[in-house]
Amino acid sequence: MSVLIDIILAILAIYLALQSLLAPRLSQSVFLFFAFGLALALAWIRLGAVDVAITEAAIAAGFLGALFLDALRDFSVSDTEKQENTKADQSLVSAKNTNSPWLPRLALGLGLGLFLLISLEAVWEIPSGGGLTELAEAMLPASGVEHPVTAVLLNYRAYDTWLEIGVILMGLLAIFAVGGRELYRKPVMAVQDPLLRQVILFFTPVLFLFGAFLLYVGKTGPGGAFQAAVLWGAIGILLHLGGWPVFAVIPRWLRQLLLTAGLGFFLLLGFLFIAGGNALFEYPPAYAGFLILIVETLAAISIAAALTAIFANLNQMKETPNETETTT
Amino acid sequence: MTITELITVILLVVGCFFFLAGTLGVLRFPDLFSRLHALTKADNLGLGFIAAGIALHIASPWSALKIFFIWLFTLLASSTSCYLIAKFQREQHKPQNGKEQE
Repeated sequence: MSVLIDIILAILAIYLALQSLLAPRLSQSVFLFFAFGLALALAWIRLGAVDVAITEAAIAAGFLGALFLDALRDFSVSDTEKQENTKADQSLVSAKNTNSPWLPRLALGLGLGLFLLISLEAVWEIPSGGGLTELAEAMLPASGVEHPVTAVLLNYRAYDTWLEIGVILMGLLAIFAVGGRELYRKPVMAVQDPLLRQVILFFTPVLFLFGAFLLYVGKTGPGGAFQAAVLWGAIGILLHLGGWPVFAVIPRWLRQLLLTAGLGFFLLLGFLFIAGGNALFEYPPAYAGFLILIVETLAAISIAAALTAIFANLNQMKETPNETETTT
Repeated sequence: MTITELITVILLVVGCFFFLAGTLGVLRFPDLFSRLHALTKADNLGLGFIAAGIALHIASPWSALKIFFIWLFTLLASSTSCYLIAKFQREQHKPQNGKEQE
């Protein structure tokens, strides 16, 4: 019976992914992508990876969903007057695609084939070795936390996690680079909808509480900094959409502090460990649990701030006069 | 099968029925407003029944309370988004008399 559920879920995930790529309209692609993200989250739960499932649901269906919907609105606003125009453009593009030279297609096909072979080979390899599960479980008492996933993420492989926090910050910097330096210039289209504002105000403390819960429960079970960060980031995004651009009103130094606190504290801690004679990110077991909680809290705050800033900036870009739209 | 299990099964089946009805409505109804109506009304009711069934199955007061709150938050979020979508549609396509643009 459970195998049947797994098979249905696997087929559903692949089907939704294909449909999302092949859907004729952009909005259909976006909504199918949400469905794909949720199917993937369910698949992760079936695989026993609840941490990944929460992250998948929160990032793919939640945060990316908000970004996609925002992008979709920009497209639909530019499309409404010239629907026929864009349709003609699209047919022109597809006509061009069918006549495209064979070389790029061949390269793409070869690359994809190679990628498929490599991933197949990687999957083939796993059953032979036992992996590092036993080792990770054995070292758990010294790691400072009780949940193996958190131990791996914040203790054994802390360097990877540190880089991941950096990647999100780099993404934000890239958006700054593309969007120009006039950031948070003005509040984004303040939604004058009393109902929406009330609901957002209602959900703000709820989301905060739930994020804090996920952060703390990461010590003993599925949860942790990234999951909490998405929820706290959702607060920022909702407040932004409701007409309270929190990021625009706080002073610049505070913004920068919030954005870099996670990355900075993590690195500072690493250097302190080196100064104390340990390796980078080698926690002394006595304080490991406490330090990990602080690192996770600051990381969650920084990631949440970065996600909010990413959304706020992207949401703002379309406010600039539509020169780009007329040229395309 | 105990009486609790029987009630759980009945609640879950009724919940699934409402979900099915809501999905059918989304697929078959002619315009956006009636589709929204079908989706939010029927699915929220269906979710309520499924939540009640699962709460009964787990039979722990704390879990039941959490499940109840999940249902409550879903109700709030889905009715708000329904309202926003409907409002956007009405403002966007006033001259088209609420017909969905395909």
